[in-house]
Amino acid sequence: MTSRGAARPNGQSQASKICQFKLVLLGESAVGKSSLVLRFVKGQFHEYQESTIGAAFLTQSVCLDDTTVKFEIWDTAGQERYHSLAPMYYRGAQAAIVVYDITNQETFARAKTWVKELQRQASPSIVIALAGNKADLASKRMVEYEEAQAYADDNSLLFMETSAKTAMNVNDLFLAIAKKLPKSEPQSTSGAAGRSRGVDLHEQSQQNKSQCCSN
Amino acid sequence: MERREDGRDWAYRVDPYGFERPDDFDYASYEAFFSRYLVVLTRRAIKWSKLLKGNNNIQKSIKVKRYIRKGIPNEHRALIWMIVSGAQTNMEQNPGYYHRLLEEEKNDKLVEAIKTDMNRTFPDNIKFRKTADPCLQHALYNVLVAYGHHNKAVGYCQGMNFIAGYLILITKNEEESFWLLDALIGRILPDYYSPAMLGLKTDQEVLGELVKMKVPAVAELMERHGVMWTLVVSRWFICLFIDILPVETVLRIWDCLFYEGSKIIFRVALTLIKQHQAFILEATNFPDICDKFKQITKGTFVTECHSFMQKIFTDPGSLSMATINKLRETCREKLLSQG
Repeated sequence: MTSRGAARPNGQSQASKICQFKLVLLGESAVGKSSLVLRFVKGQFHEYQESTIGAAFLTQSVCLDDTTVKFEIWDTAGQERYHSLAPMYYRGAQAAIVVYDITNQETFARAKTWVKELQRQASPSIVIALAGNKADLASKRMVEYEEAQAYADDNSLLFMETSAKTAMNVNDLFLAIAKKLPKSEPQSTSGAAGRSRGVDLHEQSQQNKSQCCSN
Repeated sequence: MERREDGRDWAYRVDPYGFERPDDFDYASYEAFFSRYLVVLTRRAIKWSKLLKGNNNIQKSIKVKRYIRKGIPNEHRALIWMIVSGAQTNMEQNPGYYHRLLEEEKNDKLVEAIKTDMNRTFPDNIKFRKTADPCLQHALYNVLVAYGHHNKAVGYCQGMNFIAGYLILITKNEEESFWLLDALIGRILPDYYSPAMLGLKTDQEVLGELVKMKVPAVAELMERHGVMWTLVVSRWFICLFIDILPVETVLRIWDCLFYEGSKIIFRVALTLIKQHQAFILEATNFPDICDKFKQITKGTFVTECHSFMQKIFTDPGSLSMATINKLRETCREKLLSQG
């Protein structure tokens, strides 16, 4: 009920294609994985988000031109202990968002180990996005934007700093992933955004917003 | 019941345990249920006070087991949990132990992990807010830190915060909560919370096997769509139905869990699945199935805790500990061989 009721009305119901993708969120405990999902799916934010146990499943769609991209989102528990359950969630996932907290250097290191694990164990064509969350807490920043961007470039990751609290870049991140995912003909739409390097999404985001059903 | 005298407005928005009711809470049907349940509660309260005869002690017996299945009145709940779980005996045999644990030098990593979850444990419960007075976060912190030092093999696993939180809400006593947590994690449940979580993974597979035996069509559906049990039920096991089922129902389940042990979890899970078999079978794809498993834990069937508890002992049919142990053994071996 929650996931279905939560899906926002689809602004382009005449969209001719519907593509479904499995997306998993990974990252250290309390970096804001659930908050990013809550912001994306319900447009809400709670200052204190209950810790996720096991994993939570939600769905949300975005529109890209004539295609509705439906995300099946697995939001996982961050505590190291739950690590051994993670492969069940990223197995078969077409996309992953690896989240860290820009105010905590350790969470960035942990994000890197998640990226490595995904590169080794997940589907070879998985689209990986790196999200530096809590960007609203810039005064407490411990991870430089440039450092994360360089790391993302080296590893062909999408990268954005986000804030689930202010909603900054949250929809844009999911949109960027949707754009990069192969639609009906594999790889035809991923085009230049391909896998050779990270993409600067900041310039594209405004444009995306206007043509899509995000709010 | 007595809490309902605190004022209707307050009682409407916040339940007797301090949980804020969601915006879409169905007050009318809850009132209808509760007025009927009140009759049961009153009858049980009289029976229990006769049983205890003011001496606040009981021995395990068929009669006590039957009484517990029909629900422990809230005013006796902490005491009965303490007695039947063995927590009371352990506490009496180890005077001062809990407080010594709190005075010990602390493991920084453990403390940090627990602190991270303080504001993230029941943010919807007014008693756990930083601004509450007394704020139950202090008790929660102490119980979890003490437990992590007491059981170093387990330390702290997310999920334990919710269980300890419930124990504190019911006992209103840190030391008792600590010993009840020890009864659950150390004796009643297999190793759900240790780093490898092997007991948890095993029990999820065991449930899968039991569903194959008792509700084969659902097992077949899960297999056809490649839905692993852990995806839909891990929280049921780790949090012992907290935040999955209504509070009152969870407490009734825990009454039996403390007396009868971990097989109660399978009874509840099987009842939920069997009762909603036709509904689950409507699912035609993977997300649908996940959605159905969320929905079957909501609504009248689970809110009506008294009839729900009757059903868990009849609906799934016979379920012997021998069967469960055998399944645990084979599932465990299978998991270990998979690496």
